[in-house]
Amino acid sequence: AQTNDPIRIRIGTVVPKNSAWHDTLEYFRQEWLRTLGPGFDIRLISGGQLGDEDAMLLKVRTGQIEAVGLSSIGLSRIDRSVSCLQIPLMFDSWEELDRVRDRLAPQIERRIEVRGYKVLNWVDGGWVYAFSKQPAATPSELRKLKLFTSAGDAETERLYKGFGFNVVPLPITDALTSLQTGAIEAIPTVPLFAQIQGLYKRAPHMTDVRWTPLIGGTVIDVKVWERIPAEKRPALIDAAHKAGDKLRANIRRLDPVSIQEMQKRGLNVVTLDVAARASWQRQAEQAWPRLRGEYCPADLFDAVRALREELRGQRTAPARPTGR
Amino acid sequence: MAITQSTTIAVAGSTLDDEPGTARAFWLATENRLSVAILAAMTLLPLAELTGRTWFGRGIPGAFVVTQQLTLWIALAGAALAARSERLLALSTPLLMPERWRARVRILTSAVGAGIAASLVVASLDLVRIERAAGETAAWGIPEWLVLAILPVGFAAIGARLVWRAATDARGRGLAALGLLLPVLFASAPGLKETGVVPIAALALVIVTGLGMPIFAAIGGAALLMYWADGTPINAVPVETYRLTTSELLPAIPLFALSGYILAEGGASARLTRLLTALFGWLPGGLAIVVTGVLAFFTPLTGASGVTIVSMGGLLGPVLVQARYSERSALGLVTVAGSIGLLFFPSLPVFLYGFYTNQPFERLFIGGLLPGILLVAVVAGYAAVQGWRGGTPRTPFRAREAAAAIWLAKWDLAFPIVLLGSIAGGWASGLLEAAALSVAYAALIECLIHQKLRAARDLPRLAVECATLVGGFLIILSVALAFTNYLILADLPTRAVDWVQFHITSRAVFLLALNLLLLVAGALMDIYSATVVVVPLVAPMAAAYGIDPVHLCIIFLANMELGYLTPPMGENLFLSAYRFNRPLAEVYRSTLPYTVMIAIAVLLISFMPDLTLWLVRWYDARFPS
Ligand code: NA
Ligand code: NA
Repeated sequence: AQTNDPIRIRIGTVVPKNSAWHDTLEYFRQEWLRTLGPGFDIRLISGGQLGDEDAMLLKVRTGQIEAVGLSSIGLSRIDRSVSCLQIPLMFDSWEELDRVRDRLAPQIERRIEVRGYKVLNWVDGGWVYAFSKQPAATPSELRKLKLFTSAGDAETERLYKGFGFNVVPLPITDALTSLQTGAIEAIPTVPLFAQIQGLYKRAPHMTDVRWTPLIGGTVIDVKVWERIPAEKRPALIDAAHKAGDKLRANIRRLDPVSIQEMQKRGLNVVTLDVAARASWQRQAEQAWPRLRGEYCPADLFDAVRALREELRGQRTAPARPTGR
Repeated sequence: MAITQSTTIAVAGSTLDDEPGTARAFWLATENRLSVAILAAMTLLPLAELTGRTWFGRGIPGAFVVTQQLTLWIALAGAALAARSERLLALSTPLLMPERWRARVRILTSAVGAGIAASLVVASLDLVRIERAAGETAAWGIPEWLVLAILPVGFAAIGARLVWRAATDARGRGLAALGLLLPVLFASAPGLKETGVVPIAALALVIVTGLGMPIFAAIGGAALLMYWADGTPINAVPVETYRLTTSELLPAIPLFALSGYILAEGGASARLTRLLTALFGWLPGGLAIVVTGVLAFFTPLTGASGVTIVSMGGLLGPVLVQARYSERSALGLVTVAGSIGLLFFPSLPVFLYGFYTNQPFERLFIGGLLPGILLVAVVAGYAAVQGWRGGTPRTPFRAREAAAAIWLAKWDLAFPIVLLGSIAGGWASGLLEAAALSVAYAALIECLIHQKLRAARDLPRLAVECATLVGGFLIILSVALAFTNYLILADLPTRAVDWVQFHITSRAVFLLALNLLLLVAGALMDIYSATVVVVPLVAPMAAAYGIDPVHLCIIFLANMELGYLTPPMGENLFLSAYRFNRPLAEVYRSTLPYTVMIAIAVLLISFMPDLTLWLVRWYDARFPS
């Protein structure tokens, strides 16, 4: 009915101002404004002012906002397939993640589009580590602590419970307060977030196990996307991808730097011996079969695993002449 | 202007007396039972989780999330109770009007209020429809739309009540029912907003609010109007209401209020009065100190709702008069002291502030300790001097009586310790379990140990009373969340900060302006509405001027404390006028000296940040994070 109204795109996100993620979304917003020209109103509302990712998805569904920058928690609420890129101790390098993600992205994006959202880009948040109030070098030490999970994310809650963790589901906005009151004693999160939010001050021990790379992405309501003139869409996607690529590079650079910064301010990195490291890997892999199906759709689970094995095969195999 | 729960404190449940056996009586009893059941579940679920975890090695999965969902239900069920007993918070202006205007004004305000409630029904039905299609699950496999279904039902009950209570005759009710056409009008004419109707509607809203329309309808109406004018679906209002269910803190609020009611209704006030008299009665004007102390102890327990004036004023007022305090000083002291403990644990406004600004509440309570003591000292000191001058008798100190009084009050004294200890000791995981524990503890003291209350008879009655109070406040909070959310969508807080920073360069000038703004806000709004409307705007400003967030919280709350007493219409003034059946003018006169002194204390608190921050720094150093 209101074809003359400017198209308004309000992008919600929980990422705080003055963070690498926020800078990317801001860059993206500027690029879109430049591409679209007048008649478009694009706003970025950050810092969780609109609530957690669940709340923001509700706001997209009800037409209050149009787009949202999400972590894998929110993305997997739209479609479970995203969880397949978050399987604990599946990937051990950015390269592995990139290769698997690039191959599976079209399939995952189609599944998300069926649910009413267009994926604009994929981004990274860094590696997820456990930050805890007491040092936890082994899985059994971490099991003794009350562990944060994101409220409303029943699948992850079940995943952690499957590992025997003592989980407390809370909104992410309550994480810091709850660490202070002792309602939670450990939180799995990425170094940059721990640093910006000051979580490491309340949970000063970081277990040196790369749990999983945290991924995220920006999605827009398909109905809004389709109101944008078709000839402008490729340029918008291009700008979104460029922003995503910039952020990936940035995060990969900042991830270790932020650990060093926190160490200067009192963070204790709990280093592991070979046995402890193996026990994390073994226990995670024992849980994988339970993740296949409910946590991550079975076909995609198998695809992720096969792709990873293929990559590791190439990597560990003695150098051979190219071509097979 | 001011807000009061029109104080037919004759309990909500007492309307049951009218005609037993009728359909109406059955419906009223059903409403009561629903609220009692919700509160019982909100208490028992966390307790079951706590005991299960502690003694049986496993809790109840989802207990926390279900309790969170029940917060929404108690908000709506309680608000319906408040509407039924005319205790939805509203400005008390009609009392100042000539008698013959009141009936007409009441029909008008009821009509608009009912229209807004009807619009909220429409908006919530839309949300229920969307969530039903999305197929989301809340907890225990219960679909989210079923949880949300309480929204249209509750708003409909409120709207129907507003129409019914608009008048006693069919004509008046019929006129009020015309307001129900409001959503139809707005929905059928989307082109309306180009006609400049928005400012007119906003002005009309201000006027009917001034004439006594319930505050929840005022804020809800403003939010609906803004979203509508902006082209955002009005379901945004119930979407924000649904956020009541994602808080870790809010489910604790009804439970703290319930335990406060149980203690206040039971004999705790008499035991504390005896104790404080034994300890401080020998001082010149000692009784005034005793009264201030008792009220300062109970105000935080009862949600700073003024309920202390109602429940304890009747006990303490006559005691003061007997002791040769003038009627006026007794009236003044009881009125003022009814909000004096606002900064002390476990005061709900402090928790709410922490929730709203995402700050750890223990630092807020620690910061509020010295300013809180200053405020109590100012009030108690002034009253004591009055008593001393008037030659009021003193009670000689007797060690034996003091010991006996301490022994009798030991369970009451242990109450805050049990609460804090359960959290600090890590036994209760968070505030909700501590709050559930506080209900069990209060019931245990009053029903079993002192046997001042009979569980089966009194607890349901107090639960209904508590639901009415909490519903009246949560319903305002929920629409205010929608209001704040609009401000955020429109990026107003950022722009307001820029504007103020451009116009005010000095920190001292900013502090003065802030106090002035807060004084006006406190006089215009109740503390909960002011928190959600004003704090999102002033918090970023204060940060820009380098004011510590804990200090800002204390400045804010101290001003709000003053706002309970600010003439012409502070809520304590009205509660007191009702309770003691005195003309308002007399209440103004009796409280004025206190108001002036509290205002001076508030300025001291504002301009001496160390008063707040000294203990906070000590705490941070003592318990490094
Ligand atoms: Na929250
Ligand atoms: Na007030």
